[in-house]
Amino acid sequence: MSKETPILAVENLVMHYTTRKGDVSAIDGVTFSLEKGHSLGLVGESGCGKTSIAFSLMRLLPDNAKIKQGSIFIDGEDIITMSYDQLLKFRWRKIAMVFQAAMNALNPVYTVGDQIVEALDLHDMIKNKAEAEERVAELFELVGLDPALMHRYPHEFSGGMRQRAVIAMALSCEPDIIIADEPTTALDVIVQDRILREMKKIQQKLGMSMIYISHDIAVIAEVSDHIGVMYAGRMAELASGVDIFERPLHPYTYALMRAFPSIKGEKHDLTTLPGEPPDLLYPPTGCRFHPRCPFATDICKEKQPPFENVGGEHYVACWHPMEVHNDHH
Amino acid sequence: MNNTAHTTSSAPTSLWKMRLRLMRKSLKTGWDIFKENPVGMVGLVIIVFFALLAILHPILMATVWDPGTYDPITGYDFKTLIHPSPPSWLPQPDNPMYKPSFRHILGTDPLGRDVLSQLMYSTRSEFLLGVGAALVTVLIATTVGAVSAYYGGLIDILFMRMADVMMMLPFIAILIVLSSLFQFKMIHLAIVYGILAGFGGTTIVIKSQALTIKVKSYIEAARIAGGGDGHIIFTHLVPNLLPLSFLYMMFTVTGAIFSEAVLSFFGLLDIRMSWGLMIQTAQAAGYLLNSWKYWYLMFPAGLSITLLCAAFYLVGRAMDEVVNPRLRKR
Amino acid sequence: MTTTNSPLLKVSGLKKYFPVGGGFLRKPHNFIHAVDDLNFEIPSGGSMGLVGESGCGKTTTGKLLVRLYEPTDGHILIQDEQGNLEDIAYRKGASMKAFRRRVQMIFQDPYESLNPRRTIYDTVAEPLAVQGIGNISEREERVATLLERVGLTPATSFMFRFPHELSGGQRQRIAIARALVVNPSFIVADEPTSMLDVSIRTGVMNLMMELAAEMNVSYLYITHDLAVARYMCDTIGVMYLGKIVEQAPTEELLHQPQHPYTRALISAVPIPDPRIKRQVIDIKGGISAPIDPPPHCRFYARCPLADETCRDRPHPPLQDKGNGHLVACYKV
Repeated sequence: MSKETPILAVENLVMHYTTRKGDVSAIDGVTFSLEKGHSLGLVGESGCGKTSIAFSLMRLLPDNAKIKQGSIFIDGEDIITMSYDQLLKFRWRKIAMVFQAAMNALNPVYTVGDQIVEALDLHDMIKNKAEAEERVAELFELVGLDPALMHRYPHEFSGGMRQRAVIAMALSCEPDIIIADEPTTALDVIVQDRILREMKKIQQKLGMSMIYISHDIAVIAEVSDHIGVMYAGRMAELASGVDIFERPLHPYTYALMRAFPSIKGEKHDLTTLPGEPPDLLYPPTGCRFHPRCPFATDICKEKQPPFENVGGEHYVACWHPMEVHNDHH
Repeated sequence: MNNTAHTTSSAPTSLWKMRLRLMRKSLKTGWDIFKENPVGMVGLVIIVFFALLAILHPILMATVWDPGTYDPITGYDFKTLIHPSPPSWLPQPDNPMYKPSFRHILGTDPLGRDVLSQLMYSTRSEFLLGVGAALVTVLIATTVGAVSAYYGGLIDILFMRMADVMMMLPFIAILIVLSSLFQFKMIHLAIVYGILAGFGGTTIVIKSQALTIKVKSYIEAARIAGGGDGHIIFTHLVPNLLPLSFLYMMFTVTGAIFSEAVLSFFGLLDIRMSWGLMIQTAQAAGYLLNSWKYWYLMFPAGLSITLLCAAFYLVGRAMDEVVNPRLRKR
Repeated sequence: MTTTNSPLLKVSGLKKYFPVGGGFLRKPHNFIHAVDDLNFEIPSGGSMGLVGESGCGKTTTGKLLVRLYEPTDGHILIQDEQGNLEDIAYRKGASMKAFRRRVQMIFQDPYESLNPRRTIYDTVAEPLAVQGIGNISEREERVATLLERVGLTPATSFMFRFPHELSGGQRQRIAIARALVVNPSFIVADEPTSMLDVSIRTGVMNLMMELAAEMNVSYLYITHDLAVARYMCDTIGVMYLGKIVEQAPTEELLHQPQHPYTRALISAVPIPDPRIKRQVIDIKGGISAPIDPPPHCRFYARCPLADETCRDRPHPPLQDKGNGHLVACYKV
């Protein structure tokens, strides 16, 4: 990943949520970068920090969240040190987000078209009403919605249509990066499939960079070139999609894939990981995966494994990555 | 919890003890949240203060206060000649005893009775009235709300229209009419007020809560387990409504105490002493127009009504936070 | 105990119509045909998956089988203790209570299926308590044994906790324990793992299969996820707008799908492997509520194969195409 400066570079990001019980270490030293026109999938279970990363990238964190350390460079600018006014200009134009709950992202009392026009207007993307309508129609066509629907209200849309409208909104200011946080989780498979294909097509057509966030490794495998596997606030493994599937080095990645049933190939038994993800109020010492890891040794309990490059674009944070590798061959 | 690991043989007792311990634990977590709310704590301090007054009264009567002089209803201090003083257009005798003094901390009323003693004596019945009315309200509102939400249909329509009627009725006016027709004692007022409040607005609030609980799948699970309507209503619906009911209990206390003051002020309650009656006595003797000078005839009772009503309301607000996790601060 | 040739559960002509509009003293004019003429059997110890998109009627079917709803029409036959089939479709009162011991349900949302104000013991023991089975110490022992069996060990440390102190996976294990506590012969599982995280989901799925085999429980597994249905079930029925459009043994259905809807559905499932490129069969339009649907095939409007036959004739019946592969389509 060193050909040119990446569009997005996150370096050693540490973020805590303050709660009445204490600090929750939601993101703990995450590093990754994304090149222009590429797509990265972040996969992990609930509470692994994937959505927190998305909100950090958008600087839309709730009040009790504190970024303790690290930097987020978008197109060479560090957004953590940015002022509120600068951020307003930056957000949506450089980086936009497709939210998980499409219904909540749309205001029920305005038509869908008007809401997109508002977003355009806020960022001085349009000069007059005619131009606005034209632009909305263009966006609707891009995401596969009938432009005639722009004067309808969100409740008149089906789940899939709403999700498309939210995508159109995110695309409205022609951002360089789009973050899609579980964009299809609430949708049925056929609709999910259509929207995923649509998003991939748009991304390639507009040359955008994308970050997909999902708990579903199958969805991530379909849409992203690179996959980052997250566990308990840390990046466990980051590699190209094919590498992750052919050569998983982190025991968690391996377990995650063995836990997913597929409709293709031989039916195999699904393996179970013992235990549950840790409570990040009291994260485990050393490697955060060690209490559930079958290969854990003393060093795993004591020292946090470094997030290292193991050749090519394959990064892993594990003291014994090869053991797994040997085991499954 | 480890010590119960091997007590399966004595199951009934261990179950029982476990339940008590659990209840204590949940009370403690509730209290931990409650005590962080300054508003609620202020309310609680006021309530405790009045409770102490109520408890202290019989003790004082039995020890330092001579019943002949200090009895709130029949007492009379012979050392004060005219109580407390004639209206301002009459010649004023120079007798300081009627004003607040060490002997009568809040002075004496127009009939020569000690105001502080009256105030403390009334506190108990105000509490009983408030809590009694609240219990009646909660009992009715919770049952009706749960039944109405659970069955829906005709029963629901019936109760909800009834609630509408109750809401339309002017509360105080109804109470005035009723208490002028019948001999109302505190207990009657508590029951009537409880019924009016119970079938009215509180029911609607509790029913809407019950509707959100009714659709939870644990209700369906209970039916699949073989539970009948009664089982589902009383072991699943009602326990989940109780926190909200308890909250509305606090608001009912406020309303009941206030309505007592109004009725007593009109002299419509068949009671011997209450805060409302204290104000009424002052008013009947013509002192209400001069309350700056005779503040001790008006303010102690008036302030007590205001404070205690406010206190229950504040506690209710703070409890809202315990009951509704969404309102909690992180 | 059971006669092998007769099924444990037999559903015939099962219908459930929900009124739309209408109200107090006013007759509704329209009906949603949520479940419309279902026929299937589940053998003793067998498992069937009911797969479809949201709104296809799969959850309604599940709730009909456990009699949370009363059917509009049709029969639900289930083996009683003696192994005879009895119709429980319209049963009420005391005989209903006996039926409740034989059929149980596991719900989708573990955060809503356990009463937050009742302890784990109370929740799991509830079926025993309302059925009046055993005394308190017997119940406690039964609950403890089951809790340990579903992996909540030691049971005593869980019994007197409240649901909010447990994770989603643990709660779903408790829901399983509650369903099994009365030794049922049939369980309806309504998407029991769809809200759980992957690493926990597998454990719950494996546990369900183990326990079903161990206690000889048959189950109907309702899911939107074909991969999960494949893992959990011997046969799969694909539902579309209140009808089963295709039903076959699991591998047969996945590898030789015949109904155009099943084909589209299978082709849309993402594959957890970037090396496999799947071919896409897209169907037009989207799913809509079956309010007074026209008599022809339910899939007519979206079907790539549809022609006049499909338009003019009634909804096709499920026909056996060999090997127990049932398809409801004129075109295959």
